[in-house]
Amino acid sequence: MAAPASTTAPDPLDRYSRQVRFPALGEDGQRALMNSRVTLCGCGALGTVLANHLARAGVGHLRIIDRDFIETHNLQRQILFDERDVADNLPKAEAAARKLRLINSTIEVEPVVTDLDHTNALDLMGDADLILDGTDNFETRYLINDAAVKLNKPWIFGGVIGSEGQTMTILPGETPCLRCVIETAPPPGMTPTCETAGVLGPAVAVIASFEAVEAIKLLAGKKEALNRDLIMVDLWDWTFRQLKVSGLFGRVDCPCCKHRKFDWLEGEAGSHTTALCGRNAVQVASRRPEPLKFPEMADRLKALGDVRHNAFMLRFATEGYEFTVFPDGRAIIKGTNDIAKAKTLYAQFVGA
Amino acid sequence: MPLVRIPTPLRPQAGGLDKIEAAGSTVREVLADLGCQHPAIQERLFDGGEIRRFVNVYVNNEDVRYLDDLDTPVGAKDEVSIIPAVAGG
Repeated sequence: MAAPASTTAPDPLDRYSRQVRFPALGEDGQRALMNSRVTLCGCGALGTVLANHLARAGVGHLRIIDRDFIETHNLQRQILFDERDVADNLPKAEAAARKLRLINSTIEVEPVVTDLDHTNALDLMGDADLILDGTDNFETRYLINDAAVKLNKPWIFGGVIGSEGQTMTILPGETPCLRCVIETAPPPGMTPTCETAGVLGPAVAVIASFEAVEAIKLLAGKKEALNRDLIMVDLWDWTFRQLKVSGLFGRVDCPCCKHRKFDWLEGEAGSHTTALCGRNAVQVASRRPEPLKFPEMADRLKALGDVRHNAFMLRFATEGYEFTVFPDGRAIIKGTNDIAKAKTLYAQFVGA
Repeated sequence: MPLVRIPTPLRPQAGGLDKIEAAGSTVREVLADLGCQHPAIQERLFDGGEIRRFVNVYVNNEDVRYLDDLDTPVGAKDEVSIIPAVAGG
């Protein structure tokens, strides 16, 4: 005789029944998901879509790292946030955690409001089964790449601008790493950012959804189904491309995965940023291999307002901040003492 | 003639076009012809004789760095793509 329904504990798998029935995932895959840990780096446009998918899918432990607060212009594409979060001045990681706990109370969500850098990356990623890229700049992505390769943990890269995006799954020791495929980030004069070129919410959602499906496959132990290409999608032009990059593994002389030189993790590359005491300003120093090209930068920034430059510096103002940029990549941002805020502004308006 | 696909950020230097036919039998020749047609693109792609490190080039979806790099042969029906890294998110 069957036990009365009232004494039967609810099956924790019930809420996931519609994805458990998907044969390629199945019950074993679902149980693996529920026992897995993910570190999500960045909780903006990509990050909110990723966190939403993974919390609903039942990933057991979700650590969400973000250094930023929510602003009204984020709401166009950052799907976990609303106007009340803006009014409450909530950090993104905290607001996301509150929303995710309402969505799925059976998982653990751990918000971490911090600037991910070489001092904390290994600690924040060391216990994760998978690291996800929800960032908006290459400085942090190369740091994630260093940490993932050093820790021998998989990570998934995603980037979006305008109506197009890229994503790639990186399995250290098996597939090319980010530095094998993208040897160096474009210098600021040559790279549009979401702030200068715009970005469409649906494009972000598509790339983040690709990342999320890859995450589900990986955490569920379905490695054979993983993507091995650099995926490129443009929703405006309606194009989808799978660029073959697996042949680069072992063929390129990669400083990171071949020579195990972790420039970002060792603090030798990337930005060195300090608040300028009493000046309500922060200096962001980002070492560049070649000098910045001010005419191109000025052209890219002119939509924001008056941009002036000479051979020694470029100056512009936007959103109440004044930027003074030097040819070696160093910038002084007036209007804040907050290092994390200054780094965000630098990534937004000067470049990754 | 081989077709070069121009990424969004380079289209202002290419007369707004997303695809351009360019002559040549190697990646180097095709990109040189592209540079002749649209000189503003030349400096964005090359630093002296070498391709800039942040520019990736693909022939029919294959990364040229595991083929013959700039000497990779290109046929009349091949497609050469210039792929910049996408920063945002």
